[in-house]
Order: sequence, then structure tokens, then C-alpha cells
Amino acid sequence: MNMDAALQTFFTESRELLEDMESQLLQLEGIDEAQLQESLNAVFRAAHTIKGSAGIFNLDFIVAFTHVVESVLDRLRNQQIAIDEALVSLLLSCRDHIAALVDAAEAKEPPDVSAGEPLLAELQQYLAADAQPTSHAAATQVANTPPPFERMAADAVSNDCWHISVRFGLNSFRDGMDPLSFLTYLGTLGNLVSVTPLAEFIPALEQYDCESCYLGFAIQFASQASKQEIEDVFEFVKEDSELHIISPNSQLTEYIQLIESMPEIDQRLGEILLQCGALTAAELQRALSRQQQQQPTAPIGEILAHGDASLNPVLDAALTKQSKVRESLAKEQKSLRVDADKLDHLINLVGELVTAGAGTSLLADSLGDGNLCESVSILNGLLEEVRDAALKLRMVPIGATFSRFQRVVRDIAKELGKDIELQITGAETELDKSVVEKIGDPLMHLVRNAIDHGIESQATRLAQGKSERGEISLHAYHDSGNIVIEVGDDGKGLDPEVIRRKAIEKGLLDEQSNLSDEELFNIIFEPGFSTAAQVSNLSGRGVGMDVVKRNIADLRGRVEVLSQLGQGSTMRIILPLTLAIIDGFVIGVADEQYVLPLDTVLECLELNSAELDSTDEPYINLRGQVLPLIFLRDYLAVRGSKPRRQSIVVVQSGGQSAGIVVDRLYGEFQTVIKPLGKLFSRVGCVSGSTILGNGTVALILDIHGLLDAMIAYEQLQYRR
Amino acid sequence: MSKTILVVDDSASIRQVVSMTLKGAGYSTIEASDGRDALAKLTGNRVHLVISDVNMPNMDGITLLKELKARPDTKFTPVIMLTTESEAAKKEQGRAAGAKAWVVKPFNPQQLMAAVGKLIMP
Repeated sequence: MNMDAALQTFFTESRELLEDMESQLLQLEGIDEAQLQESLNAVFRAAHTIKGSAGIFNLDFIVAFTHVVESVLDRLRNQQIAIDEALVSLLLSCRDHIAALVDAAEAKEPPDVSAGEPLLAELQQYLAADAQPTSHAAATQVANTPPPFERMAADAVSNDCWHISVRFGLNSFRDGMDPLSFLTYLGTLGNLVSVTPLAEFIPALEQYDCESCYLGFAIQFASQASKQEIEDVFEFVKEDSELHIISPNSQLTEYIQLIESMPEIDQRLGEILLQCGALTAAELQRALSRQQQQQPTAPIGEILAHGDASLNPVLDAALTKQSKVRESLAKEQKSLRVDADKLDHLINLVGELVTAGAGTSLLADSLGDGNLCESVSILNGLLEEVRDAALKLRMVPIGATFSRFQRVVRDIAKELGKDIELQITGAETELDKSVVEKIGDPLMHLVRNAIDHGIESQATRLAQGKSERGEISLHAYHDSGNIVIEVGDDGKGLDPEVIRRKAIEKGLLDEQSNLSDEELFNIIFEPGFSTAAQVSNLSGRGVGMDVVKRNIADLRGRVEVLSQLGQGSTMRIILPLTLAIIDGFVIGVADEQYVLPLDTVLECLELNSAELDSTDEPYINLRGQVLPLIFLRDYLAVRGSKPRRQSIVVVQSGGQSAGIVVDRLYGEFQTVIKPLGKLFSRVGCVSGSTILGNGTVALILDIHGLLDAMIAYEQLQYRR
Repeated sequence: MSKTILVVDDSASIRQVVSMTLKGAGYSTIEASDGRDALAKLTGNRVHLVISDVNMPNMDGITLLKELKARPDTKFTPVIMLTTESEAAKKEQGRAAGAKAWVVKPFNPQQLMAAVGKLIMP
């Protein structure tokens, strides 16, 4: 720690800086704006460096004088005052005085401080020139203070100063604390613009304890120091003292800017203020403890605002920031946008995984290793969960699609002069995203049809004793592995007779044919059929319902019509829950395996050949109910002899039950549905294919199609 | 006349570092190895600040502080206690005895000088 060597460096450095300062000052006049700024900066830097270095070596007489020069230079370079010949001369004289002080310090002679006093007085004029007057007009100086900092006119106070109010604790003197030394130390951080003693705590003479400290100060402090740094000055006394540090105006703007630029993390208000420096840790602690004492608890913001009104703009900024961040975080937590392709890819992979898992499972079973089988079954259990979770990723509520119809119904009803209300239920029902996307058009058709053809005009409704306002309902719900969407209206309903006439007229129906109402209703889905006597703008072009049916069939769904003449009709769309993976039930006929969707399977029975042979009819008595049988072997025209024992799989679809007679039962199996090629699009009872665990391809049977085909076949037989 | 600081610590190296730092800043120093030594060296000397360790043989820093407060000539003399983070209990005792200024070891010269600067003027 060789101070002397360092001191020598300081003297050399100072002289160089002073020389530079002189040459810069001499060329200040008559140079252009940009160069002027640069020169002023150089002069300022020189003074600033000298002041800083002198401080380290405790050359306070140099610091004190240079500080004032620096302040003037600062105003100059900030263009708060203009440069003129007089000022240049003054600055040159100041430079000379600093040089003299440095020389004196080197020679270890007492410096001629008095020579600087007239210069200081002149400099003060530039400093006080346009400064704000302060309320502490009669600022009293601290008694007997040797001036390590400049005594400045109280009216030099501007809003750019920190306002520090400190009341020292009564025991300060007894604790060995000298208030003055704290102020002196504060002076090393910046400029004490004014110091006003607060005398109101001094008691009457009788109560006056000469060892107690009654001092308080209001300080205007110009500094670049942070609030924390300023508070640290009073570190040793802050426990017993009352300390308030109020930020300068410019600092407030800085805080606000800081708050706005903070990263978007959810933080408490106190944390935000602490981080930007508007609040010190101690202040926050005080406010928090005050908050705890209060009943009922007030928000921390209110307590802080109460304590320091100048903080209000910062508080507002912090609160805005906080709520903004919270909002965006809440949004982020609610949903995450993922590219649909990525999801599809994931689901494809999960599909492959399911197939591979089934293969492993088969292999493990054939090996007969108990431990392996167990671990494979655990693996498959997890796989099932992964599959369900992956499929759920694609599930979206149908609500958004439904609510779109509010507007459609309102607009079309208005256009047609009808008064119609749309009722929506089950908007939270979730279904596969791709289904939601594709169901919009068919739904639109059905809703339009309901408005146009279903709901009668107001006059007709009133005449029929119905309410003037018609009602259309959209209803979605889950039903045994399916999603059901119903579009209902309370209008006139379908008239089987009209449909019949129309169908015959269009050549869709034989005049002699005897169809049930339900069968007649289904004719509306035939291509080229339209019941509207007049083709309206909205519907009735005869291209509607068949397209609807096809669209829904594309989604592996079907549509049913329920209608009561005069009461209204309901179009029921039944869709599979997912498009990709289902739980299947594997059965075997001859050497082939087939998959039935598990949710259609009710139970399995053994076929009692004796019972069957006795009736010669394809029915059995299942607990008192007639169960029609479908001999899959016959239906699929499989050759070869029947096995000795056959099984019946009891299935149910759309309210119909049937027993499917198969050769073998293999059990449950997770099935990844692979669509069939276009070639097979007309094959009614097969909905897709899948790859089994052993790698063979199996067809997925469409139970509904199978039942329909069976019924049609039987009717044909019956007619014959 | 430069101000005098009494440096009390049983570790000679810490005394040396503290003394050198203070002397570098222009203070005079008196060194003492423990509380009792410190009290002895106070006789006949006027000190402006005492920097004392807490844990010392013969007389610890807190007892020294109490002694200083009891003497009329050192009653108002500021005292900086040197402590380590682990001595939380000692710090409480010291606080009760009226020690307000604490510097946590290890400290660098700047930290020490900042504490000194807050308590006495150069």
C-alpha cells in the first residue's frame, strides 16, 4: 500500500489533465456546435477526474474547489448555461487555482484556499442562475462545519435533488455517533445542495439532556447515487433514527422506465419497487410490518403511498406492470399453442407405439415368462394412458362452433321475418379437433334447414297455438363412446306423406312400397330430394341433406331423423369420439381376425347349437329378449366347416342389439384405425382396418352398417 | 493533527491490515491485542474511534465496549465492532451494549473506510 507512489501518479496525472483543460478552454470560442460539445465534455472529464482522485488522497481542498467547477461545467455541457468570454476567463482562472492547489499539495504546503473564494463566488452565480427556489428559504447552515462540501444557496434547490429527512435517535451521541460525520460522508456521494436543521424536536431547557441528540436535518442532495447507497450512509444510525429518502423527479421517471423494461415475471409489488430501486429493503420491511399491524390489512401499495406521496407515479407504473404480467401469465397458463401438425405427428407415433406394444404383449404371452408378462402389462397400461392423454390433446370443446350459430340464426331469422331463439346446451362437450372443423358445414346446413323449413311463420305458429317465438336447439353430449350432436326445432316437423309423395314424384320411391315413417324420413338424405315447394335463397335446392349425410359419413358418423308432425324435428348426428385410435375387441372367423369397436360390445356368450337347431330361425332367447343373430361366417361368405363351438358377441348400436356369431374370441386390443382405400368406400359394414400385434391386417367391422345390412337382407328374404 | 484510531484485535495480521488501511487514509493508529491492553493504552491518549474485534482473550470486545461507555473520556467515542457472519448471538449482545456500527469480516479496505468515514471526519 504505497500511498506516496500513488500520490506522485496523481500529481503527474493532474498536471496533464490541467494542461489539456487549458488548451480545450482556449479553443472553446468560435468552434461549431458538435466540437463545442466535445471540448466541454473533455474539460468536464478533466475536472471530474481530478476531483475523484483528490478524494482518494484526502486532498479535500482540491475536491471542494474542483467540485464547484465541475458543477458549472456540468451545466455548461448540458446546455443549461451558455458559454461566453467571461465564463471562459473564469474557468481558466479556476484551472490555474486548481493547479496551484495541486502544487501546494505536492510541496506539502498549506494551500491558499482563500485565493479560491472570489472564484467560488463567481461560479455560484452560474449555478444559481436559473435554479428553482426552495421552500426552505431561511436555510440555516450546520454550525461550525468546516466545509468539506460547498455551502450552496438554499435557492439552488431543484426538483432534481434527493430529499433526505433524517432525525437522529436520542441516543446517537451516547452510541458514539456524530451526526455531522454522517453528513460529511454523505457529501462524498454527491452534492449537499442544502442542509436545513430541524429544530422542532429540541425540548424546553428544563427537559434538555445535554447528552441526548435532538438533531434532525432536511437535506437536498444532488447525486447520481442509488437510494440504497444513500440509505447505507445512515447504516449505523438507521435503527434508532427516522430516515426518509425521497427520490428526485428525474429519478421517478427513471424508476418508471425501469419498471416498464423489467422482464415479465410475476412479482409482488414490493419486489418490483425494490428491484427498480424506488424502495430500499429496509423501507419495504418497515412498510410490511406496518401492514401486519393494521387491521384490516391494507394493500402494501396504499401503505407505501401514504408514507411517501411522491412515490405515487412509480406505484402506478409498478401496479400496471404487475397486472399486465399477471394477465399474460394467466393467458399462457390457460393454453399453449401447438402446431396441429406436431400433434398429428405425436398421435401417429402413439398409434405406432400402441401397435408395437400389442406385438410385444403377444410375444411375451407366447414366451410365458411371468416377469416379462408383468412388466409388459405395466408398460401397456402406461401406453393406454399415454394414448388417452395424447388423444385428449386434440379434443376441443364444441362451444366455439355452436356459438357461431347465434349470429347465423339471428341474421337468417330476421331475413325471413321469423322470431327464433337458439338454445345451446353441452357446449363444453369435447371432440376431436378435426371433427370440430368438419362438422361446421353440415351443422350449418341443418340449422338453416331448421330455420327455413322447420320453424313456421309467426302467424302460422300463433294459429297453431304455439308461442310466437320459435326455438332451435343445439345440443351435444357423450353417449357410449360417441358424441351426439342434435339440431332440434319446435317447428312443423316432417310430414311422411309429403315426403312419400315427393319421393314418388322424383322417382325415388315405388308407389306400392310400404315404408315406415322412419324409413321415409331417411329419404330426405337421398341425392336430389328437396321438400321445399319453392327453392328459397337459403336451402331447398335439393343438394342439402345428401351432402350433410356424406360429410358426416366421412367422419365415420351417421345422422338420424326424429320428427313428430306439428311438434318439430330433431337431426341427430352421432360421431365417434376419436378418429384415430379405439379400443377394439378382436374376434376370429376361420383364419381371419376382425375387430369390433369395444364400446359396442355388451357381452359374449357361447352359442348353444342345440337351441339354435331346434328353431331354425336365427334368433335366440337372451334372458327373455329376442336376440337376432348374424352369422359372420355366412355373411362374409367364408368357406370351410364351422368349428364345433362358436361364440356370440352381443353388440348394441343405435338402440338395436344383435348377436354376432363368430368362431373365436381373442379379447380386447387397442386399435389404431387405418383408413381403407377408396376402393372399399362402398363396402357398407367395414369402417377401417388395423394392424394387429402380430403384424397381420384386420378389418374393423362397422356394427351399425352390419345391422342395417342384416335388416335389409332379412326384409328382402321376407318379401320373397 | 490527524485523528487517532485505536485498533483492538488479537490477530496481529488483522491489526496490521486495519492499521495500514487507516494510515493510508491519513489516520494515526494505536494497536492493542485485547480489551485489557486497549484500556491500558487509552490512558494518556485521546482516541477518536475504536475499532474492536469481538472475540478476544482476557477481555472481549463487548466488555471493552461497556468499559468505554463507563469512562467519561471515552463515553462518546464511536466504536466499530468487527465480527463474522456466524456470530449472530454475539451481535445481539453487542447491540444491547450499545454497539451500532458493525463491519463483517472478511472486509475489504473500502468497506472499512466507508464505516470509518460515516463515524468520524478525516
